[in-house]
Amino acid sequence: MTALSEKGTAVARRRRWKSMDAQEARLAWLLISPTTLIVFGLVLFPAFFSIWISFHDVNLGNLNDVFHAPFIGWDNYRAVFNDFAFKWQGLDNWGAAITSIVYTLAATILTLIMGLAASLVLNRPFRGRGIARAIFLFPYVAPIVSVAFVWRWLLDPRPSGVLNDILMRLSIIDLPKAYLSTRGIAIILVIIFEAWRYFPFAMLMILARLQAVDRTMYEAAKVDGANTWQQFWNVTLPELRYVMGAIFLLRLMWTFNKFDDIFLLTGGGFGTNVLPVLTYQFSFKQFNFGRGAATAMILLVILVIFMAFYVGIVMRNIDEE
Amino acid sequence: MQNDTKNMNFLDHLARRMDWQKFLFAITLTFFLTSILFPFYWMVASSFKTRAEIGGREPVYVPGSLRLDAYQELLDPNNPAYQDFGVNILNTIKVSLPTAVIAVILAVFGSYAIARLKFRGKNFMVNAILVVYLFPGILLIIPLFSMLARIGDSIGFDVQDNLGVLIFTYLAQTLPVALYMLTNYFRTIPTEIEQAALIDGCSRLEVIWRITLPLAVPALVSVAIYTLMIAWNEFLYAFVFLNSHDLFTMPIKINTIWNDPSPRPNVVMAASTIMTVPIMVLFLALEKYLAEGLSAGGVKG
Repeated sequence: MTALSEKGTAVARRRRWKSMDAQEARLAWLLISPTTLIVFGLVLFPAFFSIWISFHDVNLGNLNDVFHAPFIGWDNYRAVFNDFAFKWQGLDNWGAAITSIVYTLAATILTLIMGLAASLVLNRPFRGRGIARAIFLFPYVAPIVSVAFVWRWLLDPRPSGVLNDILMRLSIIDLPKAYLSTRGIAIILVIIFEAWRYFPFAMLMILARLQAVDRTMYEAAKVDGANTWQQFWNVTLPELRYVMGAIFLLRLMWTFNKFDDIFLLTGGGFGTNVLPVLTYQFSFKQFNFGRGAATAMILLVILVIFMAFYVGIVMRNIDEE
Repeated sequence: MQNDTKNMNFLDHLARRMDWQKFLFAITLTFFLTSILFPFYWMVASSFKTRAEIGGREPVYVPGSLRLDAYQELLDPNNPAYQDFGVNILNTIKVSLPTAVIAVILAVFGSYAIARLKFRGKNFMVNAILVVYLFPGILLIIPLFSMLARIGDSIGFDVQDNLGVLIFTYLAQTLPVALYMLTNYFRTIPTEIEQAALIDGCSRLEVIWRITLPLAVPALVSVAIYTLMIAWNEFLYAFVFLNSHDLFTMPIKINTIWNDPSPRPNVVMAASTIMTVPIMVLFLALEKYLAEGLSAGGVKG
């Protein structure tokens, strides 16, 4: 190629144009361009545009002329930080930032525990295991709107709500309660709902890892006299550490970003207001898009800081051990 | 252990029969099965109840008979509280089918390029596409809304009440997962067959059409069902982008019925049943393929 390009660049260029590699690269770009256009145009560009919006005063009035919205510096961020729905106001009113973090951590950990338990159950051979596995996936596959409203209907404040009925029959409570509109109980219920809905994801990944564990390790442990519990603690868990770390990270990220679940269950009321719901309220209830974008950016920054910390410290420790 | 079996009570017999492991296993399995199946049973059972059964002093655990009141309210034009749910079913199909078909076609091209062809900037592109996972839907919806409102204003389409716009946003949400799943699958197909076909004089596109695609049918099906499910279930974007009741997809309509001043959980449960059953049937029919995809790609959210 170099010798040719000295003779005449035109020839070389044509050669390169026709060469197999270049042809393949052109084809590759052609094949991948529609995907790239959609992903860049509808995800990456909007993501950067969101930063821009968070520094401008964008509301319903100038939405159609958004590029000329007035620049207002950090005002949106200041407004969010001072908003009573955002900031910590004491133990009975956490504010969306703290609620988000507590809710996400608790729901992710509970999801992992339930996923681990479910995968250990399904890892034992028993009759009907295939059907059981399919049933275990139901909560994850069913539409969020359906399952959220079934839960609301089960937790209905009227005496015809199933939970009320059961607790009243057991004489635990005397009068029906409105569980999802009681501070304290509501946040616990959304955490349980989250674990109920998403444990199958953890279960599938853990199950795949469990089936790849070398059988001879258990035999060796048995020879050494380890009981089932010791086998689980010393053989199974260390093998699962990496996959559990990965699930934790993924679920944490998705739970932190999740809007639908809490919005459908409680509408963000009664101590369950999280940052995605707050973003929605600023943007589409108050039509203050700038403030909404600022809230979303704060959410993203918290997430990125945590992920950097997690990947940098926790995952590295796992690798080193 | 052998001494006087006569004095053993029921629990002792039980304790001798099963060890704690089996016991724990049975308890856990029962716990999972009931906590999963009861809500689904409750959804279907409630949908066959009358308004009187729903609003009674205590829940009716087994409906007296299969009353179709709730379904009639949803689908029967002669019912006084007719909801015209048929339109919503149709809208959901109109949005989710094109999303699935287009996503699969675009993902086939894109992931073939990533799995098989060499080109500069590949790694950057793959990472950029996967970064999509990081962005919350709620963060993107504000810029998307204002951006599309601006573009729509100059080209002449409405952002709101436009199913086409909705399809585009769903593509952006599903393409990265589809791309990821298909790329992984293509990598498992041995390249030798393709090389042979190339040497025989087939072009790359012919190779994709005649060799790679037929081999990848299971993966194509699972990606299609998977994207269909995401679009079918999607709530946030449809909620923000749709205003007119005639264009509501099923999730938005169900939310509207639930929030109606006169609560009718039986109608909500009937609508939920209509929305859930096709998805569950599809899932059960193709569970073998889907389970792999579910763990490989993960539902965003």
